[in-house]
Amino acid sequence: MKFFKSRIFFTIILFLAISLPAAFAEGNRDFMRETGKINVVVAVILVIFLGIVWYLVRLERKLTKLEHQTKDDQ
Amino acid sequence: MWWKILSVVLLIYVLLAGMLVPLKSGIQRAEPAYARTKQEIAVRFYGYNTMFSKAAASGIRTWLYYDETYALAASRCTALNDTILEAVFRMPANLPEGRQSAYLNAIIDHPAAGASLLPAAVELTQDSGIVAATLDSAWTARPVHQLHVQTGFSFPYQNVIYESIRNTYFHVPMWFVLLFLFGASVWYSLRYLRQPAPENDRRASAYAGTGLLFGVLGLLTGMIWANYTWGKPWSNDIKQLMTAVALLIYLAYFILRRSFDEYEKGARLAAVYNIFAFASLIPLLYIVPRMFASLHPGATGNPAFGSQDLDNTMRAVFYPAILGWTLLGLWLANLRIRYQRLFDKAMGLD
Repeated sequence: MKFFKSRIFFTIILFLAISLPAAFAEGNRDFMRETGKINVVVAVILVIFLGIVWYLVRLERKLTKLEHQTKDDQ
Repeated sequence: MWWKILSVVLLIYVLLAGMLVPLKSGIQRAEPAYARTKQEIAVRFYGYNTMFSKAAASGIRTWLYYDETYALAASRCTALNDTILEAVFRMPANLPEGRQSAYLNAIIDHPAAGASLLPAAVELTQDSGIVAATLDSAWTARPVHQLHVQTGFSFPYQNVIYESIRNTYFHVPMWFVLLFLFGASVWYSLRYLRQPAPENDRRASAYAGTGLLFGVLGLLTGMIWANYTWGKPWSNDIKQLMTAVALLIYLAYFILRRSFDEYEKGARLAAVYNIFAFASLIPLLYIVPRMFASLHPGATGNPAFGSQDLDNTMRAVFYPAILGWTLLGLWLANLRIRYQRLFDKAMGLD
């Protein structure tokens, strides 16, 4: 579980999000432009989703820290 | 609670309708794109979402359109497949109004898929300098008539943009959420200045922080789209520049908050700064972009898009999208406020 909260995990996700479309584009030059640029829309939705997940991960990390602090006080 | 459910229901609808509703048919290009007078020429039209071969041979009509009085009707249309249509035109001896060359728009009328238009499809050039007194009969007397309209739910077709018109439901609402959250933030900053309660400050900073998230997402999604439409992610377009400036101003808000040891002093100064930040947001996002040329869709007129860029079908998805994303933004900000409330209580600040 700790792994999912780590910066390494976040970096991997970010790296995949950026490099996967590029990797597809490498194999097939027009991956993003073919079929009427529909994959641009898919990438846009993916980025928004990852942005919201990143926000939640950060909030969860802060909450965990607060939980530990209040536990120490009791 | 109900508004969280509403947000999820709206966003599911937006995702499904936004991705599944098809585009109207359109013409991508014409080949050859030039012709001379007195020539008999077969022009191939490359369509998008067209169903050329699914119409009776007599069903499809094609014109090269000069203006409301002059148009050339195709003598024969052959569908090579669903997306390629070959139309044969007999070019006239003279151009209207004694012109040497003119760009003709192409209009293809399909009984089921409706009419589609390609502006400046073919350039017609005068073969000789001799201009006849009268125009010949190739110019039809009653040019374009009885066009069909596509029935059913579909989004407009636009060249270059194609399917990425669907970004209207994902990229564009980010800016609406940003404006709403920054507006809520400045509202609580004003309240904090009148009554310095920690709750007002918590709300002001949480709304600004969540607004910043949506601003960054709007900028990133815009850059992805720009990469495949403008050729590069960042081209110093006026909208990109002004948005970056606006986001940096809000970033400074958070730096300002944290640079004071004394909590109340920091909160007070941040509240004052927030008013200036919001006041600068309006010219940066809404006034300056109207004063300069931009490549952004809908650049003529409104910064986002004018009424001609949004038809009723798109409105049926776009308005729910704005509401759904705004409620989601409110939800995210709410979680942050609740966290901060617990934190402040634990730290003895409140």
